[in-house]
Amino acid sequence: MATVTFDQATRIYPKAERPAVDALDLEIADGEFLVLVGPSGCGKSTSLRMLAGLEEVDAGSVLIGDRDVTDRPPKDRDIAMVFQNYALYPHMTVGENMGFALKLAGVDKAERARRVAEAAKILDLSEYLDRRPKALSGGQRQRVAMGRAIVRSPQVFLMDEPLSNLDAKLRVQTRTQIAALVKRLGTTTVYVTHDQVEAMTMGDRVAVLKDGVLQQCDTPGELYDRPANVFVAGFIGSPAMNLVTGQAVEGGVRVGGAVLPVPREQLARAAAGNGQVTVGFRPEAMHLVGPGQGLPVLVNVVEQLGSDAFLYTKLADEETDDVLHPSDVVVRTEPRSAAAAGQKLWLGVREGALHVFDASTQQRVD
Amino acid sequence: MTIASQSSREAQTASPPAAAPAAPDRTPARRRTTLTRNRWGYAYVAPFFLVFGAFSLYPFVYTAWVSLHRTSLSNIDGGTWVGLENYRNLLTSEFFWNAARNTLTIGILATVPQLCLALGLAHLLNYKLRHRTFFRTVMLMPYATSIAAATLVFSQLFGRDYGLINTALEAVGLNRIDWEGGTWSSQVAIAVIVTWRWTGYNALIYLAAMQSIPGELYEAAEIDGASRWKQFLNVTIPSLRPTILFTVVVSTIGAVQLFGEPLLFAGNGTTSGGSSGQYQTLGLLMYQQGWSNFHIGQAATTAWAMFMIILVIVGLNAVIGRLRSRADR
Ligand SMILES: Nc1ncnc2c1ncn2[C@@H]1O[C@H](COP(=O)(O)OP(=O)(O)O)[C@@H](O)[C@H]1O
Ligand SMILES: [Mg+2]
Repeated sequence: MATVTFDQATRIYPKAERPAVDALDLEIADGEFLVLVGPSGCGKSTSLRMLAGLEEVDAGSVLIGDRDVTDRPPKDRDIAMVFQNYALYPHMTVGENMGFALKLAGVDKAERARRVAEAAKILDLSEYLDRRPKALSGGQRQRVAMGRAIVRSPQVFLMDEPLSNLDAKLRVQTRTQIAALVKRLGTTTVYVTHDQVEAMTMGDRVAVLKDGVLQQCDTPGELYDRPANVFVAGFIGSPAMNLVTGQAVEGGVRVGGAVLPVPREQLARAAAGNGQVTVGFRPEAMHLVGPGQGLPVLVNVVEQLGSDAFLYTKLADEETDDVLHPSDVVVRTEPRSAAAAGQKLWLGVREGALHVFDASTQQRVD
Repeated sequence: MTIASQSSREAQTASPPAAAPAAPDRTPARRRTTLTRNRWGYAYVAPFFLVFGAFSLYPFVYTAWVSLHRTSLSNIDGGTWVGLENYRNLLTSEFFWNAARNTLTIGILATVPQLCLALGLAHLLNYKLRHRTFFRTVMLMPYATSIAAATLVFSQLFGRDYGLINTALEAVGLNRIDWEGGTWSSQVAIAVIVTWRWTGYNALIYLAAMQSIPGELYEAAEIDGASRWKQFLNVTIPSLRPTILFTVVVSTIGAVQLFGEPLLFAGNGTTSGGSSGQYQTLGLLMYQQGWSNFHIGQAATTAWAMFMIILVIVGLNAVIGRLRSRADR
């Protein structure tokens, strides 16, 4: 087991204009499950591959434990990786796939068989040890890839979107299994995904990347409750947080025809840039209030999920029913609420649930 | 196209009444429909079979017919029927066994290093080299060179008195070798020419196959701790197995039919394969029988023997491949 440290690690691909990963600083504790999340192309895989030694580090360094591994080849790093397409050796059986690293390391045959059998038992693969990967289902292949990683008992597990080739149901099932397995083994893990739900449910901490730059690294709870900037606020959570930009006025922020109240001091700092303030409120932070009291909205679509209902609404004018802003405001309500499409409602934001960002810097203001 | 689509429409509309009354035995009716429906398909593939018949199947069968006669080139249809006598003669002829042995040894000397070299070269070319296209073109150049030109150059290299190789041998204090005169030396020299000509061709086939191996496999192997060499052994070679089998079959067929190189290596146009037949191959023997000794029936017999040998080798390869893939499952 070991810690992992990225110290100003940077990767610039040849002929690229900007770094794929830009001065990444991350400290991952021993035994921690860290998830790297972000939209496609933000540099998650590149970061992981830098840690694996598959990608050069152009500036900064990468440490595993206390050892600077920046210039070490993959095989000297004592890591195991699960690839998105699993990268199983097609001509080897499941057992040979799992035992290949041990064989190369010179582990004797009996010991190898014992450890492969043990891993296969954990992953429910015992009856498939003599099969080839092409005779397995997607979920089984995924487990073989996991098995190949765990038989080695490495210092660090690296996983690059290991669930993205599974169907939705299996993905949810496997998600919990992987999290539980890794917790039990207590191995430091860096896990890459573009799916924020996966990130939130699996990670001890979640690092959000955008355009190669680390936006925030925190526990799922903190990330949800106190997003550091507008990007994180909009990326984490499903449905996403409602974000609206408006002019700072006396007592709050003008959104459409209404003014959302913001404490004076907070408002002053948020408006310091250009007087514009971005406010965010999550769907579940809203409640219905009497006419003329809060934000007037026009219901567009009602989504019944059984456990709750989501209202997709548009900001509307106070007096007329004109839509003021094209973006959606999503509201979570009781299931089977009486709201119907075309109806006009007034919304209040729960006390203390309003996120305030400086519209010029996009940063959070408390 | 119009004709084809019309006729197929006709066939469709015509078939139901034909099939309807004879419900119990529907199969003949259906077969008739598919035949009519496929008529144009057969018409389209017919040219190939006509050419194949005229230039492959007919000579093939005719050679078999000729091999059962005692006949000469000038009077090819007027020979006398001798049954299997030509085959008996062939199998008891020391020339045949000598040529068969030479073909085998030259074949091994040429094919094995050629394919190993080709694998190595392909592996090197698969790295991200600068001027990669240039190297790939260079690889194919020997293949594009005519045998005559190549053999001429190599005869010079292997010459006894003024050859470059002997000069080099002498320079480092070794004895000259009479390359053409010795059994092993002449066979090695011919194998070198064959290898030179075909290595690049095979390397390009391997290279194409290598480029379809996913890069992730190498990355996984690297993380598993495999050195470059172990990656080559454990990822590249197994992925190339079908390709290797293919090149083995093609090179083997080429080796059994080896003709131009030994003929031109002799330098004087004789088909005896050296003063004591030390490098006479089956191809040369066949030519000698038919065109030097005017015994075309005997030559046809040798041709059939060569064909049988190829058939056996290819068959063995197929069986081995089948067994392997069954063991793989
Ligand atoms: N081998 C490469 N050569 C050049 N650019 C690359 C290469 N691999 C990735 N990139 C670029 O680097 C950025 C980050 O890619 P990646 O780390 O794969 O993103 P993701 O977060 O989706 O895994 C992208 O803009 C991508 O186009
Ligand atoms: Mg990726």
